[in-house]
This record gives sequence, structure tokens and C-alpha cells, in this order.
Amino acid sequence: MTHSPDGPEPIVNFRIVKEFSGFTLDCEARFTSGVTAVFGRSGSGKTTLLNCLAGMVRPDDGHIEIMGRPVYNSRGNSPGGKSPGGKSRRATHLPPERRRIGYVFQDGMLFPHMSVGANIDYGHALVAPERRILRPDDVIELLELGPLVGRPVNGLSGGEAQRVALARALAASPELLLLDEPLSSLDAVMRGVIIRYLKRIWAELRIPMVLVSHSLSEVMALAEDTLVLSAGKTVAQGPPARVLGDPAVGTMADYPALENLIEAEIVQPTEGSRSGLVLVGEATLQAPDVYGRAGERVMVSIRASDIIIATGKPSGLSARNVVPARLTELDAVSGRTLAYFDVGARLVAEITDVSVQELGLRPGSDVYLIMKSNSVQVLNQERT
Amino acid sequence: MSSELSLLGLSLQVAVVATVMNLIPALAVSWLLVKRRMPGGFILDLLVSLPLALPPVAIGFFLLLLLGREGPFGRASQAIFGSDIVFTWFAAAIAAAIVSFPLMTRSIMVAMAGVDQRLELSARTLGAGPWRVFLTITVPLAYRGILAGLLLGFVRALSEFGATIVVAGNISGRTETLPLAVYSNILLGKDGQALKLIAITIGLAVISLAVHNWLLSRGGRREVNG
Repeated sequence: MTHSPDGPEPIVNFRIVKEFSGFTLDCEARFTSGVTAVFGRSGSGKTTLLNCLAGMVRPDDGHIEIMGRPVYNSRGNSPGGKSPGGKSRRATHLPPERRRIGYVFQDGMLFPHMSVGANIDYGHALVAPERRILRPDDVIELLELGPLVGRPVNGLSGGEAQRVALARALAASPELLLLDEPLSSLDAVMRGVIIRYLKRIWAELRIPMVLVSHSLSEVMALAEDTLVLSAGKTVAQGPPARVLGDPAVGTMADYPALENLIEAEIVQPTEGSRSGLVLVGEATLQAPDVYGRAGERVMVSIRASDIIIATGKPSGLSARNVVPARLTELDAVSGRTLAYFDVGARLVAEITDVSVQELGLRPGSDVYLIMKSNSVQVLNQERT
Repeated sequence: MSSELSLLGLSLQVAVVATVMNLIPALAVSWLLVKRRMPGGFILDLLVSLPLALPPVAIGFFLLLLLGREGPFGRASQAIFGSDIVFTWFAAAIAAAIVSFPLMTRSIMVAMAGVDQRLELSARTLGAGPWRVFLTITVPLAYRGILAGLLLGFVRALSEFGATIVVAGNISGRTETLPLAVYSNILLGKDGQALKLIAITIGLAVISLAVHNWLLSRGGRREVNG
């Protein structure tokens, strides 16, 4: 995936001006990555931006192209004024049903008068046969919804409802998936599970997505590109790690709460009082609650502030996990530093500037990362 | 007894026809006011409620002007069917429809407002146009409230008096509904007969309102399922 502004075909290209409740959303961007996150505090305009892309809200001015197709234009000229002739003078504003998008609300918004299966079929049935790229069965298999298909929707858990909502959107063969805070109403474990499914949607179906989030951890876990909004304006855009170190973002981010949400493989499930083992990159980590089968892939959460750094191999520690790692990058933001490490996967740790100086840390330094086994939380459905 | 049965029959006929006439306009107006925030919507909102605030006798008079021999609709009816509208059971149904429209529409508006807009937007993003969303999402999710609104309108149509007597008269066997017959009996001093008819009216109203309340309580207590 390229982040170059001159990349061949942007997934979404827009300029949107929309005045709403007190301030104006005024931003312009090209999304070229498979998964783009729109990050910002509540009230920053990120959901309004998503709703403009979906056609639920009509901008006051600007233009929007999705996969090269103009879906909104305030003036009716072709995008960017490239057509000097100006074929059509009429403003364009395609309704949501003609934008070929899938939209997933924060709490699923399943149709309560239909079964899980009928929800998934709803959009599929409305797509012209020649435009169908996915069958409901494929989606049900991908999201492992088989056992739920005949069930009514009102008995589903939050995570199940969110998976059905994803399946329903995908079954309509969208060209772009728009997700509004898809994880924020879920508990930590479910969040991990849904993140894995979202990653799988991009990896296996190649349906690009734009997701709105106020959680840096989610953005880091999922997105290749991030648009940061504050009070309706773009403050930064780029890969999450780069954006994370942006001073403008530093004031918004809650770094101590930052989690590494990474995929791992179960090496050995927890048995009785014995900790389980998971493989994160090349590092085998002990964790207390490893439920599942050996070889199964799961999401693991490690808080950035729970990682301790040592320049030499420590001894006599109660912490169970001591992992050799190479420091790849340092980002100093408002008195704190985010240090990125390579352990075969990328981990971020949050440390003070003083520690950085006293330990003489610089990119390339070989260090040991120390984590208590309790800091390694395995996010798996089968947890009991 | 046979006169009571024919009174009851005519009253039901008038009220049912009035309710059926109102169904589509009430759904359309509710949808426009609740789901489409159209410019000038407040004027439509006001118009919908107006018959509730006017004396029915005034509505009857307006109808007389419109439907009467000299009125535009009266003339059209003469030209097309060769007959009058006024002083027929159909005029009674029109009067009942107009007077019961606000109650029916306001109930349906409440029911539609209870359908989360995000459900409708979800359906839109899945490829459904506004019409399909209305039929497959809005109406099924609001149907209890819509039925309740229909019943409320039906009850109001059954008890309609003021506008009806002006535009349909009080012609025994042709336009005389239960409330009009009650009035006639009172004028004639037949209190016993009047009370008997009132009892029938109360019976109908109690049954309809009981069903109305049941629909709303069931609809409110849990989400529609399956």
C-alpha cells in the first residue's frame, strides 16, 4: 500500500465543508490505504465526515469520489475541475443506496424484526446479480456466524451483533466499508475478536475500509493510514506510528492507556494454575488466561505503559517475560516518549524522557523488554 | 332491534370507510413530517392538527361548501356520476374521515418517530431506496402503533356528530348513524331509546380502546421479534 498523494487510484478522495452545531468541518484528503482510520476526540467532526462519505449527510460544499466515482459534487463539475468543458452543471449528491458502500454503526443496528440470516440477506438481495462479489454463505463462513443464522437478533451479545452487522454490510458487496466506532461498545475481549475479523476482511476480501475511532490503540492495531481531526480540521495524516508522534496528536492522546493490540499464536493454552504461552512475533510470552487451541491465532493486548526496558539482561526478577528487542524509533511527545521495538512484531512502550537519556536509548539499541505475565492479556472468545 | 342493527351497520360502514380513506394519507403525511424534514413542514403539521381544534360543525360547513351542488366537488360528482355527494352516507364518511384524521395521524407519527433512524439509514446503505425502506423497515417496526392509530381514528369516526349532521343530514336509514340517532331520540323525548343507543356506542368504544391500549402496551414493552 502506498501513502503517496500521487498514488494511482485513491479509494476515497474528497473535500468536504459542512457547518454543523457550532463549528465547521472543513477537510480535504485522499485515502489510498486498505484501512484508513479517522481519529479524533468526540465532537471533532469524524462521524460527520463518515456520514458525508456515506451520503447520510449532505455537505455544504466540496466533492467526494469513492473508487473514482463521483458521489458528491457541490458544483457539478468533474472532480478537481479537470474537465474544462464542464459537461454537467448539476450538483451531484448520490443517496446512500447508490454509493456502493457498507456502513456499520457503533451498536450494530440490526433489524430487530428479522432473523440473523434475514439481516444478512437484506442487502445482498438488492444488489444487481452482476455486481455481486460475495455470497451470504461466504460472509457467514468468514465471520463464523453459521450457528447464529436462524436466531432472532435480540438475543445476540454485543460482539455477535457487531459481527452480524459486518456480515450484513459485506453481503451487499460494497466497494468500501465505513465503520463508525465499531469497537467502542464492546468489552476488551470482544474488541480483540472483532479486530481480528476486520483484519481478515481486508486480508481476504480486499474490501477497503474507513473507520472512525477515538482509540489510538485501535487505530494502531488496524489502520495503515490515519487522518487526525480536531475541531473539524485535519491536523495530521499518515501512518499511525508517525501520526502518533505528532505534537498536535500528543495533546489528544491518552498514552498511558495506549495498548499494543497485536496478533499472536497460541503456543500452549493455560492449564490449571500453569500460565499459557503465546508467540508474538518471535517472542514467546507467558500469559495468565490463554484459552483456545495450540496454533490458534488470537489478539493480545499489552499496555504500552506496562513494558519496562532494560539495557542488560536482568536477573532475579519476578516478571516472567524478558524479551530481547531492538529499538527502532523514538517519538518524544509532550514530556513522554513512545519507543518502538522490533520483536518480530512491533511493540510500542511508553517511557519518560529521563529514562531515555539515562539509558542512552537511541534507534538501533539492543535492549530487553520486561513484562509481567499479567500484563499480557489474551483476547479470545473462548475465555470463560 | 332491527333498527338498532341497521344503525350499527351504517355507523360501522361509515367509520370503516372513513378509516380506510385516511390510511394512505395518514401514512404519507406522517412519513413526510417524521422522516423527511421538509421545508414548510410546520405548516403541514399545523394543518394536520387543525380539525382537532376546530368545532366539527365548522368543518361540516366547509365541507358543505366544497361538496354541495355549487361546490367544485359537488359539480364534478354531478357531471361524472349524475348524483350528489351531500346528504349521502358517503358524505358522512368524508366528514368522519376529516374529523378523525388528526388523531390517527398523530398516533402514527409517534409510532414512526419510535423507529430508530439509524435502522432506516442502515437499510439505505444496503441498497434500499426510500420506498423500500418505508415498506420493509419503518412500517413493520411501527405496525402496532399504526394499527393503534387506525383504531383511534375509527373510534373517533364512530362518534362523529357535528360535521356529519351538517353535510350528511340526519336521514333515517340513509345517513343516520348512532350519534345522530341518539340526538333524534333525545329531541323526541325517547330517553330510554337514546340510552340504549348510547350503551351500544360505549360498548364499541370500550372494545376499540381496549385493543388500542393493548397494541400500544405490547408494542412498547418489547421489540418486535420474528
